[in-house]
Amino acid sequence: MNQNKENHTFETPAEKQNRHKAMEAIKLLNTLREDFKSPIQSMEYFYKLFEEVHCHQKSLHDDKTKIGTMCIQIPSEIIYALDGVPIRLCNGFYTDDEIGSDLMPQKACPLVKATVGHFASGNFSDKPDIVFSPTTCDQKTKVGATIESFGYKIFDVDFPRTKESEASREYWRRSVKQFAVELSKFQGKKLNRSNLESAIKKIGYAQSLYHKLSNFRKLESVPILGIDVFLVTNAFFFDKIDNWIDAMENLLKELDLRVKEKINAANKISPRIVYTGSPPIFPNYKIPQLIEESDAIIVADETCSSNRMFNDMVAVDEWNLYDMLDSIADKYLKACTCPVFTKNNDRIRRIINLVKQYKADGVVYQAFAGCTVYELEQRSVLEAMEKEGIPILYLESDYSPSQGGQLSTRVEAFIESLKTRRRNKK
Amino acid sequence: MRYFAGIDIGSTSIKITIIDENKNIIGFKTSASGSMFYKYAQETLDALLQELSIDKNNLVYIVATGYGRKLYKEADENISEITANALGARAAAKEYGEIKTIINIGGQDSKAISLDNEGNVVNFAMNDRCAAGTGKFLDVVALKLEIGVDELGEYHFKSTGTPLSVSSTCAVFAESEIIGLLGNNHSVEDIVCGVHYSIAKRIVKLVKRVGVKEGIYFDGGPAMNGGLVSAIENELGHAIFIPQYPQITTSYGAAIMGVDSYKYEQNL
Repeated sequence: MNQNKENHTFETPAEKQNRHKAMEAIKLLNTLREDFKSPIQSMEYFYKLFEEVHCHQKSLHDDKTKIGTMCIQIPSEIIYALDGVPIRLCNGFYTDDEIGSDLMPQKACPLVKATVGHFASGNFSDKPDIVFSPTTCDQKTKVGATIESFGYKIFDVDFPRTKESEASREYWRRSVKQFAVELSKFQGKKLNRSNLESAIKKIGYAQSLYHKLSNFRKLESVPILGIDVFLVTNAFFFDKIDNWIDAMENLLKELDLRVKEKINAANKISPRIVYTGSPPIFPNYKIPQLIEESDAIIVADETCSSNRMFNDMVAVDEWNLYDMLDSIADKYLKACTCPVFTKNNDRIRRIINLVKQYKADGVVYQAFAGCTVYELEQRSVLEAMEKEGIPILYLESDYSPSQGGQLSTRVEAFIESLKTRRRNKK
Repeated sequence: MRYFAGIDIGSTSIKITIIDENKNIIGFKTSASGSMFYKYAQETLDALLQELSIDKNNLVYIVATGYGRKLYKEADENISEITANALGARAAAKEYGEIKTIINIGGQDSKAISLDNEGNVVNFAMNDRCAAGTGKFLDVVALKLEIGVDELGEYHFKSTGTPLSVSSTCAVFAESEIIGLLGNNHSVEDIVCGVHYSIAKRIVKLVKRVGVKEGIYFDGGPAMNGGLVSAIENELGHAIFIPQYPQITTSYGAAIMGVDSYKYEQNL
């Protein structure tokens, strides 16, 4: 009992960080496994994947070069074509947010702080060999240099802030080519017609599976919770793509059966929600969890951790190398609905379309405190929704585990009001 | 021979320590505070004197401390538990080294105390509002898990999975969280471990408020729980010293104050 022994040890900072992250991860995974009715068997692949990576620090890509990306605007097609593995480093851990808070302004975005904290700790299960950082939002643009100062190899990819003009399109096409040149040099491998074509097709196939999954969410009885879908799409950040595709095919098969058995992941009265705003990234599913624990169901989302990653596919006219590169560039610019752009009516249109296609009852718009662009765009989105007669709830949150009470009251009241609207319509 | 008593009347238990003029511990006794602090304190003191065969007349100075100290009218002096804790900790750890930081978890409160090189209290922080993450909380947890409070440490070290965090350290809310975890067949060991880490995180925040200085001493009943000690060390990233009898540090400090005050009054 007496602690005064010479050899007495305690956790190193890395061990402590791992334990904290494991505790965050297991808490959410246990909720997903246990707290909702009729769990989906094939989701276990994803639960297990996150558990192994975040509770047991399992490396997935020992044999490959790991290409870190700071944002979805770095084309994965080119990374796969050059035989690398893209690992998206956007981070949802409060543990890492706390580490990053010491290095960044207090009011900075928790996602960026968590990402910086993760780099500062250097504690990765799959450590990136090089990091590509697109100049999208201010905070991500600026922290490239911070991360570089920790000793990582960083390469900035110039991203334009307007998307209407032909000039910005040209500018971005040049950036994408430059990115391909840099990565090609790093990998010592040439980009060619066949490796790029097969990479585009592989990602295209993964996207088509996401679209099939989305179709299930248009049904009157939705067989899968939104929070499970977020987990599935988050896994695409880092999983082995072939394993992800297999797991997704299994999931789709099971969902097919569930539809035949008329299994509803929620209840008949449960309001259908379109989720938009700052991305929910594992394990920060605070708001989606609150929504679905309050008897609503997320049927679609407009976020960069999920829908925006899969929605639009690379459309190629001619399968020539340069045509493919241009098509990739266009997909990442023209289809992007990120609020970093000057004008962003595309995003409003996308949300309205999602509400109509998925017969949603309302929208939840969540911004991280400190995520300036989403905070700013809240006003125009709220106005547009009001015009359309679509109920919308705007929430601000961060990664701290302790604000559940106030948020849940607002979410519950919003969902109750949607239920009342439903009953009155009948 | 002259004797001195320190009586620490806490929310949960009464701790009495008797020392001699040289500040050596002669004996100590603890009992539950119950509903009548004064009566139980008196009974405990009488019993202790009898055990030690000390004549009441030789007990020359009594210092009361703790939350119920003002109810013990017979005391020659009463001092706050912060001062008493600081005095007791420095004396108890004399052989270990200089104590700069004290963590105390009591029955219904917890505190962090920062000392300067002379042992003066320079800063302290206490939990506010409620008994979250205190000894009472551990009682409630043990009761729910149907194990003894003294078994918590053992269960902690048997945990093999990821500690299951209990997000609420409010005893009332945590109880329902624990019921939920048990309902889903999670191991008692992992729950205990998670509970200890929840308390540890809370206490470490308190310590950071006063500043972490090497020479860290942990006392109060919960310091006898090895699992909690290990959790706090891990969260803090520093080794901490646990005295042989963690629950009596504050009463020991009060008794030491008794010696000093007596000598001052008697011009010795």
